[in-house]
Amino acid sequence: MSVPRSVAVVGAGLAAVSTCDALRAQGYDGELVLYSAEHGLPYDRPPLSKDVLLGKARREDILLRPEAWYGEQRVDLREGTPVRVIRPYEGGLELADGAVVTADRVVLATGGTPRALPVPGGDDPAVHLLRTWEDAERLRERLLPGARVAVVGAGLIGAETAAVALAMGCRVTLVDPVPVPLAAVVGDAVARALHERHTAEGIEVITAGVERVERRDGEVALHLGGGGGVVVADTVVVGIGIRPATELAEAAGLAVDNGVVVQEGQHTSHPHVFAVGEVARREGHRVRHEHWEAAQWGGEAAAHGILGRGVPRRGASWFWSDRYGVRLEVVGTMGQAERMVLRGDPHGGSFTVFGLCGDRVVAAAGIDRPRDIKAARRIIDRGVAVEAGVLTDESADLRAVLR
Amino acid sequence: MMTNSAVRVAAIGDIEDGEALKVPAETTGHGDAIAVFHDGGAYYALDDTCSHGQASLSDGWIEDGEVECPLHSARFCLKSGEPQCMPATVAVRTHRVEVRDGGVWLHPGQEAAG
Repeated sequence: MSVPRSVAVVGAGLAAVSTCDALRAQGYDGELVLYSAEHGLPYDRPPLSKDVLLGKARREDILLRPEAWYGEQRVDLREGTPVRVIRPYEGGLELADGAVVTADRVVLATGGTPRALPVPGGDDPAVHLLRTWEDAERLRERLLPGARVAVVGAGLIGAETAAVALAMGCRVTLVDPVPVPLAAVVGDAVARALHERHTAEGIEVITAGVERVERRDGEVALHLGGGGGVVVADTVVVGIGIRPATELAEAAGLAVDNGVVVQEGQHTSHPHVFAVGEVARREGHRVRHEHWEAAQWGGEAAAHGILGRGVPRRGASWFWSDRYGVRLEVVGTMGQAERMVLRGDPHGGSFTVFGLCGDRVVAAAGIDRPRDIKAARRIIDRGVAVEAGVLTDESADLRAVLR
Repeated sequence: MMTNSAVRVAAIGDIEDGEALKVPAETTGHGDAIAVFHDGGAYYALDDTCSHGQASLSDGWIEDGEVECPLHSARFCLKSGEPQCMPATVAVRTHRVEVRDGGVWLHPGQEAAG
């Protein structure tokens, strides 16, 4: 495969910036243009539901790269420049203002769009979604002491947002139809500990679905299913996941099925188009990987793919979530575990659940256990056989397993 | 940069291989705590606070000449303080460490030799 002379990256999140970074790190010397629909320098999204909402981080605190980096790396950042159409067969793309530009390779890093509640009134503009800096700013202005805030969805974003709202002095209600959210991802013990924490901190947790959203004068009413009544709030936030932003890929005729379908090296069904981050789904994988590290890794893999090189092997996935000063970390895929064992006491604050298949660790989920998680990750990646008794013995040093 | 006189922070053997000692700011006289790492028989010192988030590198995972931040897994070279991966993009400062007289001596504010 010949080395391209120009690469256009569509999107400006972590996967996009990571792609640019990795291309330069691997010696790509050609034109590199980053098309960002948003204004301003590309920023990191995890803080949006944490320090940004808390008012502790400003925009300049969460930049993915300092401004000088774009000049140094010759990354041509076109901010406020949405892409309307990609034309891979013609080697170019069309911008929202109608301009047509050439690009030998296109990288789709378009991310996702937060899902609105699929119920009447669910798309009301009074219902907040949280995805961008602007979303976070708009929401932060509403998190005033004493304000009634209803959060729909108790997954990662919803739980973090609820915790921030509580810290800001709001009266918070958290609504989710699942009694113990995240159980499939982190195991039952960790999921329970996390979810029970909301109630312990003073959040009203309601297990119910939302059937209708009704905007009233200055407030919003959530009508709950199953005779759950009505929750009235000054502000409603919905965090029920994203749908991948596949519009450009679909219009270009690429294979799309729950995300832009990619092969190793982030190749789409068109040889000159790549997809990275949460818009992409690796063929053969059931889920798209929506977490931070997956986005970074996807960018690196795409750079290898674009330059026609073999892609380094990827280790176990990892993600984290912060709420109430408590940190959840997960490595690997808990759904693959045949059984789970505990290290530490679930009622004692910090503990880890290891997921095992035979004598191999396939996943671990920890609450305030960074060292366990770092050890687990290496145990998984190196395929080390472990006795469950070592994992459950708090006095046993997990580093010893790796030696 | 202010250069303080050396501080004896540990006896040899106090800091196990793969572990680190957090030397508080009051002891270093340096403004920030300093983490002293033991990796494979050698000692290194870096500013304790990660250049990305508010995390203590002395709580990190130490291996193969690098420390991995406990918070967001940015890795730093123990010798140079340079970040090895995202999310960190800025180096942490190094400090000279010396092993003598059965002790580990820290020179706060004095860069480690490249």
